[in-house]
Amino acid sequence: MSAVQYPTTLWHAENVSIAEVLAALDEIRRRFAHQEADEGEHPHPRNCVMTLISVAPTEAHEQTAKRTTQMIGTEHPSQAIVIREQQPVEGRLLDAWITTDPDRPKAACGYECEFISLHVYGEAVEHLAPLLDPLLVSGVPTYLWWLGTPPFGKPEILDALHVCDGLVVDSAQFRDPYHSFHRMSDMLKLTHHRMGLADLQWSRLRPWREMIAQFFSPSDRRPFLAGISEVGVDYAGEGRGNRIVASLLTGWMASALGWKLRRATAGTGGVVVAVYAAGNRSVEVEFRSVPKEGLVQGELSAVRIAGVSHGTTYRLGIHHNPDRARASDIDFPERRRQDTGRVLLTMIEIGEGDPLRHIQQLEGQDEVSLLLDLLSTGTHDEVFNRSLAAAEELMEKF
Amino acid sequence: MKVQETAPNPLAQGLYDYRIADPAVMVIFGATGDLSGRKLLPALYNLAKQRSLPAGFAVIGAAMSAMTDESFRQTASQKIHQFSRTQPIDDRVLDALLSQLFYVPVDFSKLDDFRSLGRKLQELDATNHIPGNRIFYCATPPQTYQTIALQLQGANLNAGDGYHRIVVEKPFGTDLQSARELTQTLQKSFSEDSVYRIDHYLGKETVQNILAFRFANSIFEPLWTSNLIDSVQITVAEELGIENRGAYYDHAGAMRDIIQNHGLQLVALTAMEPPLAFEANAVRDEKVKVLRSIRPLIGEDIEQSTVRGQFTKGWVLGEQVDGYREEPNVAPDSQTETFAALRLFIDNWRWAGVPFYIRAGKRLPKRVTEIRVQFKRPPHLTFGREAMKEVDPNAITLRIQPEEGISLKFGAKVPSAGLRIRSVTMDFEYITSFLVEAPEAYERLLLDCMIGDPTLFTRADEVEAAWSLVDPIENSWRSGRPPLELYPAGTWGPDAAAKLLQADGREWHRP
Repeated sequence: MSAVQYPTTLWHAENVSIAEVLAALDEIRRRFAHQEADEGEHPHPRNCVMTLISVAPTEAHEQTAKRTTQMIGTEHPSQAIVIREQQPVEGRLLDAWITTDPDRPKAACGYECEFISLHVYGEAVEHLAPLLDPLLVSGVPTYLWWLGTPPFGKPEILDALHVCDGLVVDSAQFRDPYHSFHRMSDMLKLTHHRMGLADLQWSRLRPWREMIAQFFSPSDRRPFLAGISEVGVDYAGEGRGNRIVASLLTGWMASALGWKLRRATAGTGGVVVAVYAAGNRSVEVEFRSVPKEGLVQGELSAVRIAGVSHGTTYRLGIHHNPDRARASDIDFPERRRQDTGRVLLTMIEIGEGDPLRHIQQLEGQDEVSLLLDLLSTGTHDEVFNRSLAAAEELMEKF
Repeated sequence: MKVQETAPNPLAQGLYDYRIADPAVMVIFGATGDLSGRKLLPALYNLAKQRSLPAGFAVIGAAMSAMTDESFRQTASQKIHQFSRTQPIDDRVLDALLSQLFYVPVDFSKLDDFRSLGRKLQELDATNHIPGNRIFYCATPPQTYQTIALQLQGANLNAGDGYHRIVVEKPFGTDLQSARELTQTLQKSFSEDSVYRIDHYLGKETVQNILAFRFANSIFEPLWTSNLIDSVQITVAEELGIENRGAYYDHAGAMRDIIQNHGLQLVALTAMEPPLAFEANAVRDEKVKVLRSIRPLIGEDIEQSTVRGQFTKGWVLGEQVDGYREEPNVAPDSQTETFAALRLFIDNWRWAGVPFYIRAGKRLPKRVTEIRVQFKRPPHLTFGREAMKEVDPNAITLRIQPEEGISLKFGAKVPSAGLRIRSVTMDFEYITSFLVEAPEAYERLLLDCMIGDPTLFTRADEVEAAWSLVDPIENSWRSGRPPLELYPAGTWGPDAAAKLLQADGREWHRP
C-alpha cells in the first residue's frame, strides 16, 4: 500500500461538546453533498462501509491509529474515530479535530471519508458509549479497535462496547501477554451476544491455517487427519507469554479435530510438550523457542505435522520465510524487482516419494491489511472463539 | 480411483472465501495464444498469489509451436507481467508458479503427441502427489474442440484415476445443429458434468450479484411479478468496434456474439424462479426453464419484434471512427449486424405480458451493461398530474458494468412550500461498499473448475435452448427480414430500435 497522504484538518476546536462536533460534521457533509451533485441533480447519498473507533492509550498508538484508518479510508469509504485519553483538566471535556478525505472513483459517485479525532479528558473516557453514539453512522457496523493492552473487563471498555458490533485487539501488542491473554478470553463471557471479538494475531495465522487445511483437503488425504501423531511448533522469543500464537494454532487444530488436552510439561532445552488424547491415540505437540532473524516475539517460524495412515507415513512442514532457494534457474530478463514479500514454504512428504516443495505468499501482515481482511468478514468467528478457549486451556498448563 | 464423498475438512471451517482445490494438472491447449497470455496465465498467477493453488498443482502448455519448458516459462512470465490485474508482480510467487509450468508440443492432428502429453501427465502425478486429476482447457478456436476431445479419448487421457474435465470457450456452436454436434462429440469423451462451457460473463461478480440481490433479500422478490412490473430493458453496449476481429465477427454478428449468450443469460438470471440452493443443477435447471418459456419468434413476429443494424462512420467518445464495412477483414458489402434489439415475452405465470427488451451493439456511445426493471405507474395520482409531471415510474437498475451497482428510482417531495414530486435514486455502488476487491472473472471460473463447481458454467441444454430461440431469427435475418438498418457510430442504434419501443408506448432508458 502506498504512503498515506494526510488530509488537512477542516475543523478543530478545543473544550467543546459532542453537539458542537456533530454540528460541524453536518455542515461538512452538507457542503460535500452539494459540491458533488451535478447541475440539476440531487446530491448523492453518503456512502460508508463502517465506523472504526480506535482507542489509543499513548501518542504513538494515536499516530498508528490515524495512519491506519486513513490508509483504509483511501480505498474504502468509512468513518474513523480516534479516541485518546487525556489527564483530567478542570472544566475541560474534549478537544476535537475533523478531517475528510474526498475520493472520486472513476466508476462511482464521489464519497468522503471522515476522520474524527477526540482527546477526551477525565471521567468521560469511562463513558464512551454516550460520547460516541451520536457520531455513529447508522446502518453500518461499528468496530472498536483498542490499541496496546485493552483494560479487559474494566468499565471503560465494557461501556464502549455497548455501541459496537466487534472488538479488535492485537495480542502481539499486549504488555504482560500471558495474563492479558487470559483476560481477553474472559471477555467473551462478559459482553453482549452481538459483540464479536477478534485478534489480529488470529488473522496473522490465517495463511498457516490455510496451508495446513490444504494439505488435508484432497479426499485421499482426509484419513491422514486421524493419523496425526506429532506436531511441532517453532516460535520466536522466550517465555510463556510468547506462546500465544503457537497456542492459538494448536487450539485451532485441537478444537477442530476433537483432541482433549491431557498434560503439558517442560522438556529439555526450553521445549514444552503438550499431550492430547485423540480418541484412543495420543498426539504430542512440541513447542520450541527458535531465534530467527526478522521475526517479532511470539511469531511462528515453522510448523511440522507428522503421522501415519493405513501404513503410509506423511510429513508436512511449513516454514516461514526460508532462505531463498530459486525453484528454477531460468533468468527472466524483464524482472526489475527484488523479493518484496514474505513467503511460506510448504514441504510435503508422502510415503517414499521425494519431498514436494510449494512456496506461497505471506502478504499483508501490516495492520491495514489485517484489519481489512478481518473486518471484511466481520468479527464474529466461531472458529476463533473455540480456538481461543482451547488455547487458553493450554496456556494455563504452561 | 473413484472420487468418494468424504466428510468436510474440519480444518477448512471458518476460512472465509478460501476454497481449496485438490492437486491437479491443467493442460492449456493453445497455450501460446492470446487467451492464454492475456487471461489464463495471469489468472493462475493471481490464484497463486491468493494461495488458492494447492501444492503440486501444475500446468502443461500444449500448442503447435516447438518450445521448451524454459521458453514457455519466459513467455508466461512476460504475459503475467503485462496482463496481471495485480501489480507489481511478486517474484517468489511467480517463480513458484513458473517452476510448475511445463510445455509439450502438440499437433492436434497427431495422436502420438497426445500420448507424449499422457506420459508427461503421469510423470507429474508421481512427482507432485496428484491423484490423476486433469483439467483440459481448450484455449483454441472452436473448430478444434471436437478434434481435441477425440484425441484425448484416443490417447486414453479422458479416463483413469481422479477427475477429468474439459473446458471450452464460447461460442458453443454457430447454430442449434452445430451446438448439438459439439455436445455429442464432447459427450463421447467426457460426461456432461465434466464439460465446463465457459462464458466469462457469468464469472463477473455483478452478474452473480443479480442472484444475491433477488434471492438473499426478502423485500425485492415480491415485487418481481407482472402485477407490478411494466417491462424489463437489458442493454449490452460497447463503444468499441470489432478490434481486428473482423474475420470472426463478420460471420457472427451481434446476435451470435452477444445476444445468444450474454443477453439471454441476463434474461434468465433476471427472470428465473428461486433455485432450491445455489448449487449447479438447481440454478441451471431454473435458467433453462426460463429460456424454454420464452415465446419463440417466428414468421412475422421476427419483423415486428427484432431490429438489426450496422454502424457507419461516426463519432465515438470525441473521435471520428470508420464504419463497419471499412474495418479490416470485413466484406465491403457485409450484411452482418453490429446491433441487435429484440422484444421477447416469457410465457409463464410470473412474467405473462411483460416485455423484455434486449439490445446489444458495437460503437454505441459508451460501454455499459445494465438491466432495468421498470415498474407500473401508481394506479391513482393522489397528488395530481401537475405535481407528478417530473416523476418517472419506479425502476430498479442492476448495473453490471462499468459502474457496478444497483439503483432504485422513486418519487420524493421537492423541499418547498408547495407539493411537487420528482424522481430521486437510492444507489448502491459495488466499488465503494466492501472492504475487498472483486476478483477477475477468470480467476473465479478457473477455481470453480478446479473445485468442480459448474454453477457458473453453461450446461448443454441451456446452450441448445438459447440456439433454439436464435436460429429462426438468424434465418429470417439472412433473408433480409427485417432489413438491415444503418446507424452512425456513437448513437444508440438505428431509429427502428426506438420505434420498437415507441410502438408499445415506451422508450429506451438512457443508461
